[in-house]
Amino acid sequence: MTRHVLTLLTALMVVTAPALAAQDQQGARDGPLRIEITEGVIEPLPFAVPDLVAENTQAAEYASNIARVIASDLAGTGLFREIPRDAHISRVTNFASPVQFADWKAINAQALITGGVSVDDTGKVVVQFRLYDVFAGQELGQGLQLVGTTSSWRRIAHKVADQVYSRLTGEAPYFDSRVVFVSETGPKDARKKQLAVMDYDGANVTYLTDANSIVLAPRFSPDGDRVLFTSYESGFPKIYVLDVGTAARQVLQTQEGTMTFAPRFAPDGRTILYSLSSGGNTDLYAMDITTGQSRRLTSSPSIETAPSFSPDGSQIVFESDRSGSPQLYIMPANGGEAQRISFGQGRYGTPVWSPRGDLIAFTKQSKGRFHIGVMRTDGSEERLLTASFLDEGPTGSPNGRVIMFTRETQGSGGAASLYSVDITGRNLRQVPTQTGASDPSWSPLLN
Amino acid sequence: MNTGQLISGLAHTGLIGFAIFGGAFKAEPMPFEVTEVTAISAEEYAALVARPEPDALANVETPEPPDAGEAPALTPETDAAPNTGASELSEAPPPDAAPEALPEPAEPETEVTDEPPAPPEPPEDVAALVPDALPDAAPEPSPRVAPEPVAQPEPDAEIDEFDRQASEADEAAEDPVPDEQETAREAAATRIVTEAEKAEAAAPERSVRPRTRPAAPTAAPDEKTAQTTSEPDAVNAALTEALGGAAEQAGGTETRAAQGPPLTAGEKDGLRVAVQQCWNVGSLSSDALATTVVVAVSLSEDGRPRNDTIRMLDSSGGTTASARQAYEAARRAIIRCGARGFDLPREKYASWRDIEMTFNPENMRIK
Repeated sequence: MTRHVLTLLTALMVVTAPALAAQDQQGARDGPLRIEITEGVIEPLPFAVPDLVAENTQAAEYASNIARVIASDLAGTGLFREIPRDAHISRVTNFASPVQFADWKAINAQALITGGVSVDDTGKVVVQFRLYDVFAGQELGQGLQLVGTTSSWRRIAHKVADQVYSRLTGEAPYFDSRVVFVSETGPKDARKKQLAVMDYDGANVTYLTDANSIVLAPRFSPDGDRVLFTSYESGFPKIYVLDVGTAARQVLQTQEGTMTFAPRFAPDGRTILYSLSSGGNTDLYAMDITTGQSRRLTSSPSIETAPSFSPDGSQIVFESDRSGSPQLYIMPANGGEAQRISFGQGRYGTPVWSPRGDLIAFTKQSKGRFHIGVMRTDGSEERLLTASFLDEGPTGSPNGRVIMFTRETQGSGGAASLYSVDITGRNLRQVPTQTGASDPSWSPLLN
Repeated sequence: MNTGQLISGLAHTGLIGFAIFGGAFKAEPMPFEVTEVTAISAEEYAALVARPEPDALANVETPEPPDAGEAPALTPETDAAPNTGASELSEAPPPDAAPEALPEPAEPETEVTDEPPAPPEPPEDVAALVPDALPDAAPEPSPRVAPEPVAQPEPDAEIDEFDRQASEADEAAEDPVPDEQETAREAAATRIVTEAEKAEAAAPERSVRPRTRPAAPTAAPDEKTAQTTSEPDAVNAALTEALGGAAEQAGGTETRAAQGPPLTAGEKDGLRVAVQQCWNVGSLSSDALATTVVVAVSLSEDGRPRNDTIRMLDSSGGTTASARQAYEAARRAIIRCGARGFDLPREKYASWRDIEMTFNPENMRIK
């Protein structure tokens, strides 16, 4: 009997043990090990950009300058961190020679930019560059060559940085762009203001108007060749159109005895939106600048101002106090029923539609502080990026990734200056300007 | 059915019933011994075991070697079967085989004396090869004060509210340029805190209410189990599969040995943490941050990724361009953090030789 019981139990073990063992080995037979990574780090990507190789003696002065501008552009985004030249192990002496990846790995350079520069017989600067993924040991994309005049070497450098930025981040570029702003000098109670235009990084400042009259709110056209602005030259605020290349300007004719301000171009470059104040009421109007014909878009007894088109030109976001306090509204481009999109505590103003169309940047005043913020076009996901005594007037970079605005310090000696911040809220930094500066407007990417 | 089978069936049924209900398989508590122990320190134990060996050896009484001539005579007779009182059904054990004669005990080769044994000569000490001057050199006292003045350490970097450029001396300027240091960069972070959020975080207005107790989870019906048990041939199918697996394993012992055991959850977590430390999404576009990529990689036995095997298997949630950016960030993470080899058990190499990593940036997006 005992033998039979033992036989029965042995048979059961023979049957079940392999099944259990097979279950244990199932993972190994299923194929590769699978893991999911859901947490990463947010830190600037280290890169190295040694001086470009000067192919001839005339190019020597540009070899280092161009490299410095490229490095400044990339590091200025906050997304990248330059590894100082003193730390470089390898010296690039020939643009065509192979890269010693081990030397760049040793200093943790994850991206490497090499280039060569020459000045040809016609006085043109020729720049070639390549971008490498150091740890993968391979080139990213293909090398490019850019040609320009010697006076435009900074633009060439910006274009190189644009290519690198786009290749590494996947974002559209924005370094080769300009900003028009109001330059401010003198004490606060007698401040002189004039229009100026500069590279996005504060270099190459050019003044477009004199300081004899107050100018406000310059806005670039979609092509970047014209600027709309408001001037008190006639005693009343009037809207002017200025040609950036020639500095020639003309006033837009509107009804006598009215005040016009807060102009903005439509994406088509022919229509402009503006606010017209008459009889104590302020409404939005649209004008065809080729014909001079205006039409009224709002007819509310409240104040409607600061309009901005959506990138496709189908909608307008603007500021209105029709609910009792300044809030943001969206309506069709031809007028019609407006829909309120801001519902947070405080006052909202100066909305700007992002060039990408997904966000609206705005100024918010709440609890005695000013903020620059962004929200979705339906008003959701409001996010405040800054906080200070006075922040206002946001404008978006051509790719919509960066917002530039005015920050003014407190007190009688308070001065205005330009700041920029990433739409994530990172990388808040002051834009260097020689004078006080306010009311920035970012141009599209230059051709 | 004949009588024999009937009796056998009844007997087996009774036996199984006795085994199940009679408690034959109940685990009896194992007998155990209680031994009193005393906890002593390592020093006490060392003192306890470090006794003078030579004296102890001297007092040992060495037994006289047995006289070979007095060895008991061995007889070829078989042993009688012991009377164990077993049931009659048990058969008597077979008689033991006649043992062979034992060999004579060997004579001790040396005599034991009262003198302690001479200690063995120590091997040549390597330290003796050091020059003679070294032991005689008296150690010099280390100076408590540096013989030469050293520069004061630089103050800690301060994180400024916003970026400043370092000031540069301008000889042409009428007023001297005040010294201003360039803003120190913030270190890596896993979360973006804006200027506005910093101000809010400094003055919390109220505390968060404790969360309510979560509702007890309701057990969802296991469709797979229900389906399996509803099928009449489920047991047979499972047995067939198990037997098939047994047959397969019987012929594939070498394969099983090569595959080794699978990674534990802790080992997988270690690999995951190692990779995510290098997964830098700070420079990715918002589109790339919405893209999940699956990357395959093969590792060598030392845990280093083989760069030529890294490839993107799949992507979701973004465009082709954003998938490329996301893949390149993932590739950098694998290569950088695997440069010295991932810490994985070598005996389980078959389990982690080929890996598919899913990089899901959902938690890293801007909220």
